[in-house]
Amino acid sequence: MKDYRLFDITDFVMDEDFIRWVYERRPEDEAAWHAWLTRNPDKHLLVAEARSILESVYIAPPVLTEPEIEQETARLLQTIRQQPAEAPVRTVNRVKWRTWYTVAAAVLVACVTGGLYFFSGRGTAAASFTWEKMTASRQLIENVNTSDKPITIALPDGSAISLAPGSRVGYANHFDSSATRDVYLSGEAFFEVTKNPDRPFRVFANEIVTKVLGTSFTVRSFEKDTTIQVIVRTGKVTVYSQAVTNTRRSATDHKPGEVILTPNQQLVYEKTAQKFQKVLLDDPLLIIPRVKEQKMEYEEAGLIGVFNELSKAYGISIVYDSELFEKCTVTADLRNETFYHKLDLICSAIGASYEVIDGQVVIQSNGCQ
Amino acid sequence: MSENDAQADQDWLQRLQCSDEQALAALMKKYYTDLYSYASRFTKDEGLIKDCIQEVFISLWQRRDTAAPILSLRYYLLRAAKNKVLKSLHRKVYKTDTLDGQESYDFYQEFSVERFIIEKQVSEEKAAALRNILQQLSKRQHEVIYLKFYQRLDHGQIADLMNISRQSVYNLLHEALQKLHGLWHAEYLTK
Repeated sequence: MKDYRLFDITDFVMDEDFIRWVYERRPEDEAAWHAWLTRNPDKHLLVAEARSILESVYIAPPVLTEPEIEQETARLLQTIRQQPAEAPVRTVNRVKWRTWYTVAAAVLVACVTGGLYFFSGRGTAAASFTWEKMTASRQLIENVNTSDKPITIALPDGSAISLAPGSRVGYANHFDSSATRDVYLSGEAFFEVTKNPDRPFRVFANEIVTKVLGTSFTVRSFEKDTTIQVIVRTGKVTVYSQAVTNTRRSATDHKPGEVILTPNQQLVYEKTAQKFQKVLLDDPLLIIPRVKEQKMEYEEAGLIGVFNELSKAYGISIVYDSELFEKCTVTADLRNETFYHKLDLICSAIGASYEVIDGQVVIQSNGCQ
Repeated sequence: MSENDAQADQDWLQRLQCSDEQALAALMKKYYTDLYSYASRFTKDEGLIKDCIQEVFISLWQRRDTAAPILSLRYYLLRAAKNKVLKSLHRKVYKTDTLDGQESYDFYQEFSVERFIIEKQVSEEKAAALRNILQQLSKRQHEVIYLKFYQRLDHGQIADLMNISRQSVYNLLHEALQKLHGLWHAEYLTK
């Protein structure tokens, strides 16, 4: 299964399976896409737009009746039966045909070598960041979770790791005396890191590095997975690819290709494409106390203020045209609703829509009447 | 082109190699509509289209013993159909056979826009904008869109079939999609 969460609109429009779904409406595709959209409600808009593009370039098949095709088939069979086996039918330009096979053969070779190159290439890229490679030259204290429940590991600096089943972590035995607090991970773990601005805490997971000063977050990086995921619950983390770190800069440098993650954001790193994408969690959590959420009942409230409060409550940035909404008001009860449902309520009240782009909510509207 | 479909084609071709006429008939039935659709982009002459498709399958039958494998039957048939149609057209028009692979040809294409506009209840203004965008597309863009979305060829096959680079295929598609995207973006209101 492709990770469609990483798809932008062009990717969808160009995707063979997506095209088939839109044009052919096979029941099995309907079911699969419906399920996917239920899991990824923030993708509805993107998918709707991609569908519209495809539907607006629909080309109807020619009108040919069954008997017409039958008749042509009969004519064909008659022709080939009348042919003596060795006589050529009409003159086919032999030269043309030959060049054509060459093309076909060249395409085949290209595909095969491309495939080999791809696999061997991927092999080496991935191999350079396996657990063995990452930890070979280092003296580490290792923990492996062979049970079927998460285990908690206390680190010398007071940080805690909740290690998922089938995962392992390692950290240097002089963890307390080095300039950075480095942890190596294979699998999935949730980290709660004590604040220490002078000693960044870094998690190395296959190709990517997650760097924090003090926060809580999850890293999921099993070698068998095609993606690596980082999810932030509190605070802020930066993530970058290991390929960048190997250029021997200091650990505190701000590097190009770094992605900054804030709460309720999830970063998906696709190993083969080597690209990062921010997505919002399916169900963002409040980052303010519940008590404050109980005040989210609005009557004729200024829309901009409501968006600001919502943005603060979840730590998710909401982008809109403030000029457009200057005079808009909204009446809605947003208490005890999920983040996306809150957005739905507001948007249906003002006749707007939203989509999630790169971990931010973008409101689309023509203003309010 | 799903895996199963590709496998089914290979099975038919296998039977074709053993001179199984029924396999040839089955393949003709399977691809007739799509080949007819493609051929009718180049000419409105129905008799000529039907004769060309006949020839494509006669050729397929004749090459059944050759060892060269056909990787994608759909691509092979479309390419053969295009060559046959353009050749016959040139014979008709010039009574000569001067093909250097760089021939220009017409590409007639009609999108089913009206159906879409009615189904989606598109506003009059949007409908006009959509017709306008589709009218502005070049012949090559029409052909790329047709091969990508109607015939579902991959970019490499489209490039080979149109005698252009993969990059051009991508650019032509991308430009057309950008325009359409601009039209639909922000159109979406939660219903």
